[in-house]
Amino acid sequence: MDLVIVGFGVVGQGVAEVIQQKRDLLHDAFRKKIRIVGVFDSSSYETKKTGLDPSALVKRKASENKVGKRRFDGDAWRMLMDLEYDTLIEVTPTNIVTGEPGFTNIITALRSGKNVITSNKGPLALRFRELSDAARRNNVQFRFEATVGGAMPIINLSRELLKGEKILSIRGILNGTCNFILDRMMEEGLPFAQALREAQEMGIAEKDPSYDIDGVDSACKVAILANAIFGLDKKYSDVKKTGIRGVTEDAISLAGEEKKVIRLIGEISPKRLEVAPRLVRIGHPLSIGGTRNIVQIHTDLAGEITVAGKGAGKYETASAILSDLVALLNEGGKS
Amino acid sequence: MKVNADLRLKDVPGQLVFALEPISTNDGNIVGVVHHRDVVIGGHITVNVTFEVRSDRMLQRILDTWKERDIDVARMGSLYETFPIECLLVGDISSQELNNIMEEIESMEDMESVDVRYSVSAASDGKAAILFGKVRKREAVERVERFLEERAADGGFLLVRGLGD
Repeated sequence: MDLVIVGFGVVGQGVAEVIQQKRDLLHDAFRKKIRIVGVFDSSSYETKKTGLDPSALVKRKASENKVGKRRFDGDAWRMLMDLEYDTLIEVTPTNIVTGEPGFTNIITALRSGKNVITSNKGPLALRFRELSDAARRNNVQFRFEATVGGAMPIINLSRELLKGEKILSIRGILNGTCNFILDRMMEEGLPFAQALREAQEMGIAEKDPSYDIDGVDSACKVAILANAIFGLDKKYSDVKKTGIRGVTEDAISLAGEEKKVIRLIGEISPKRLEVAPRLVRIGHPLSIGGTRNIVQIHTDLAGEITVAGKGAGKYETASAILSDLVALLNEGGKS
Repeated sequence: MKVNADLRLKDVPGQLVFALEPISTNDGNIVGVVHHRDVVIGGHITVNVTFEVRSDRMLQRILDTWKERDIDVARMGSLYETFPIECLLVGDISSQELNNIMEEIESMEDMESVDVRYSVSAASDGKAAILFGKVRKREAVERVERFLEERAADGGFLLVRGLGD
């Protein structure tokens, strides 16, 4: 199976490393060679029909801050149309305003009859239906486990292993940064601003933390789950969202006196499509601290199923992308 | 219907089974029994029993049997299934506004109980109040939450709802 990776930041490099690391295992299991035949970052690219060396790509990126020797104008999609490959791995950064460049990269690949695996939330939170329709029309696969919850398997679990169940609702912690901040406020009695600063110093929160703390990231994931699992046609803007900026020390302390914690919970149910801070009983699965993500799936037969895992990180996200790749190989995706 | 009753039984072996048997023979479902063996008054002990019955007619049959068996019913009350409400209100909310909110919730249909506790913060915009109560119908939980969502939006304060389980 010939792959093209578009986006060679932390996630793209993680994918290259994991492909190198798991190459033999995949070959033994599926009797197929996995080759990276093209790779793009924002200003350079490299292609080779017989396959590029993943380690060399990562090394060059580290030493020269570019993945390829050849420069281009940044529009990978134009070049994708002329390349021969089977599967696009689209891992450019999320853009929640336009969905670009991810959307055009993905739709170009799908329309060219290529499978797509992505970790990019923007295109799915804005234009999910267009992408899934394009995949269906072109008889190719579009997989996106890495867009929600990093290493926590939720989309493939719900769509494949729980296919016979009726999924009634899903709720959970979908953003590790918010959970870390709320947990530190509770455990150490820190004011919100100080807990946020600590998260920023530890590299858990971004310099501009609004994407996380205002609930944008969680709302994107809620929209993706609503579309992918419940078959809805929702955009990020359809999700009612309240972030955690307004959570005060008094609120945390009063909740604690009632043996409760405050957690930012995403919920998809027939009545709600929402991200909001909620009161959670201490000891409840959704009361977990730290940066992990956790989701409860409520089904008609199995009842409540809870899955947890690391929500972000180079190898955690690469792990989710690998699971999609394995699913493609399992289903005999074009090789 | 769920019923809770205090029964006074003779402190002799076999009395507990003798008292509970009419519940099962009348298709009742025993939910819980608390046996106060250590408190004996006038040769009698108290047993608190909670059970479900399908109708008033069945309950009356149980009461009649207890009477025939000389089992004294010291207290009896009906229990409703209740659903918890818990919400945290955070921000600059005046005590007058909180009182108004409480009054409106208390006057809502199907409210069983409602109570509020306040934080003691000096910072006006950091204040919090936790509101907890019980309602007799699940729909009433949604009614209260909708009402609080509207008030929070109007008043510019943060509403933190419970998970409901």
